[in-house]
Amino acid sequence: MTLSARMIVVLTAIGLISGGFLAGVAQLTRERIALNIQAEIEEAIEEVVDDAEVNQVILEEDDLIIYRELDDAGQLAGYAVQATGVGFQDKITLIFGLDETVTRITGLSIIEQKETPGLGAKITEWDAFLQFWEDRDATGLLTLRKPAVRTPEELLPKEINTITAATISSKKVLEIVNLSLERVRELINEGTITREEQDGE
Amino acid sequence: MANKSIKAEFLKGLWEENPVFRQLLGLCPTLAVTGTVITGIAMALATTFVLIFSSLVVASIKKLIPSQVRIATYIVIIASFVTIADQFLKAFFYPISEALGPYVPLIVVNCIILGRQEAFSSRNSVGRSLIDALGMSTGFILALFALSTIREILGAGTFLGYQVMGPWFKPWLIMILPAGAFITLGILLGTALVIESKTKRS
Repeated sequence: MTLSARMIVVLTAIGLISGGFLAGVAQLTRERIALNIQAEIEEAIEEVVDDAEVNQVILEEDDLIIYRELDDAGQLAGYAVQATGVGFQDKITLIFGLDETVTRITGLSIIEQKETPGLGAKITEWDAFLQFWEDRDATGLLTLRKPAVRTPEELLPKEINTITAATISSKKVLEIVNLSLERVRELINEGTITREEQDGE
Repeated sequence: MANKSIKAEFLKGLWEENPVFRQLLGLCPTLAVTGTVITGIAMALATTFVLIFSSLVVASIKKLIPSQVRIATYIVIIASFVTIADQFLKAFFYPISEALGPYVPLIVVNCIILGRQEAFSSRNSVGRSLIDALGMSTGFILALFALSTIREILGAGTFLGYQVMGPWFKPWLIMILPAGAFITLGILLGTALVIESKTKRS
């Protein structure tokens, strides 16, 4: 066999064997990996929407997935919005919950982020950031409160607390949520999202 | 090289030819994922898996590989094992896989692995290659363990997630940031050199 023929044969053979082997491994692990990602999202939804038992995907776009949440009695419990946007370092993927009237944010959970450890990465911490996302007014644009306050009670209904020394990360999360809320409002107008009327306020 | 004892073949990876402290190889994961001990160890174990199996395969088929395409062949073999390690972590250790992020696929370009194939496995028996891979991996694990222990204790006040420093301790944030990785590595490298020169003189 000439040298070039040998090179081709060896490389092709190695490529084929590796490929076959990897196909087998992918087959074995695919289901578990999908389950892991699914479980992570479900856990996040449970955190942000009270009584959510059943998740129905009602909209799937590039960077936005909206779930309708039903409780164990089959009644509307709220909506969960999974959105991806640009952070300070890399993409941030988050999920926030909306109540059944789609006027209130019930909570926020960060699924994926690569912000600076110890600073921007605090967006995943309850005490530093997430607690300030409970019970926010979702009817208009949310704004950032700076300098930061210590307790959620000090914030206005449409305000979000800033993480000290990580203003950009806080702002990026806010932008992702604001952008998604805008889309949610469009969907309400289009009738894709149905909501319960607010009771006599 | 062939008449080196098995023990010496293994031990050289731990100190004399330690991949991190003596050869300065594999520094990307060494710096990037040693912010906590758990990610450091996970990375070292994933690298160990890839190094051992790549060395075994390369040592067993070395006579079949034409030298002109040897690097390409090594990379295909290494990349296959890296993909297996990555899939395995994603399937069974999902949180760790999330924490390591892109650094698991990047094991492909870890110079320790390609370096050992080129310098050792391609010219030694399967048995010796295995011993060499085990030694180098152990050296790599020790290096990452040392680095991540220092960084986690000083940077977060914890070890393996458990609080080890008292409430008086204010974590040195810089230690878990990239700069802390460089500082720690520099100090450890300096210490290794001092020890080396002292032992040589005596």
